[in-house]
Amino acid sequence: MKNRFAVLVLLAVLWLACSGAVCHGASEADARSTVASADQRVSVCYSAVADAEKAGANVSGLLVTLNDAGMLLSEAHLSLINGSYDLASGLAGQCVTKLNGFDNDADSLRASASQARFVDFWVNVVGSAVGAIAVAVGGFLVWRFLKRKSVVKAGGV
Amino acid sequence: MDVRKYGVLFFVVVAVVALLAASPALSRVLVFPRTEFFTALWILGSNNTAEDYPFNVSSGKSYGISLGLENQLGYCSYYLIEVKFRNETQSVPSSFGPLENRTPSSLPSLFNISAFVADQSDWELPLTFGFDYGFNDTLVRVDFHTMIFNGNVLNLEGASTSWNATTSRFYGALFFELWLYDRATTNFQYNGRFVDLKLNMTAT
Repeated sequence: MKNRFAVLVLLAVLWLACSGAVCHGASEADARSTVASADQRVSVCYSAVADAEKAGANVSGLLVTLNDAGMLLSEAHLSLINGSYDLASGLAGQCVTKLNGFDNDADSLRASASQARFVDFWVNVVGSAVGAIAVAVGGFLVWRFLKRKSVVKAGGV
Repeated sequence: MDVRKYGVLFFVVVAVVALLAASPALSRVLVFPRTEFFTALWILGSNNTAEDYPFNVSSGKSYGISLGLENQLGYCSYYLIEVKFRNETQSVPSSFGPLENRTPSSLPSLFNISAFVADQSDWELPLTFGFDYGFNDTLVRVDFHTMIFNGNVLNLEGASTSWNATTSRFYGALFFELWLYDRATTNFQYNGRFVDLKLNMTAT
């Protein structure tokens, strides 16, 4: 009876030790996975901002959010190195939360910047070039008209 | 009235009006293209000027500097600044010669700072740092334990610096390497630039 009890206790201790190890391993793996996801999310958001800026959008507001998220990610990486896996997961989670809806904002900024650039091109580039040509042609026509009128007047006299 | 006498004046007026009408288009066409694309990286002292840099440091005390970047690459950039610490004999990064030949220090990064900077904009971050270190029995070596960097505790166990008899100092250098994210490879690449802060570890 005593032997059976001792074996049971031993098995229970072994099970607890193993489950602890598994839990610890999972926690580290989870933390690494969460931080890697946050890394990827930051890169995706950066690409969205870079595209928006390329389209001519003012991205200063988005960059403030992205820099805040980047700082959280840096601290998550440090926590990972220090073995504080829960903290690393928490910080990476905060980083991802901060970037919720970020790419939509960047995309809408990019779309409105593209639209503004299109309007700007037609009004300021095409419009002003056509206007300049119209002034030159109009001036020439007015000059011909005035010249002809002056010749007719001189002939009449 | 003979209008032909006023021909030159008339066409000058027409040309001026046409140029005024064309000025929005010309302002977009007649622009000098940018030919130099680079990133500037700097450290400023505690007063945000290029003076009063910390040099003689004591264990347990905190010091302030400011780290700055200016993006002139032509696009919004994603930088990573690796914070490293070295003694006089350890690996130094290079920042001269062709960019592709420049190499970072082989020392591990203690902390990474991310920075997202718009084109033709700058970025600045105030930094505080301090060391926890002790001297060995013969007082010829400083053994580091930790560095407090902007409130984060960084492990410096195993790092040390020896007495420099020529200058009568215990030298250490806190340095910042600049890495740039490449969207094509989705990796960071050493940008061939670093700044460092030379420090003397004192006993007081």
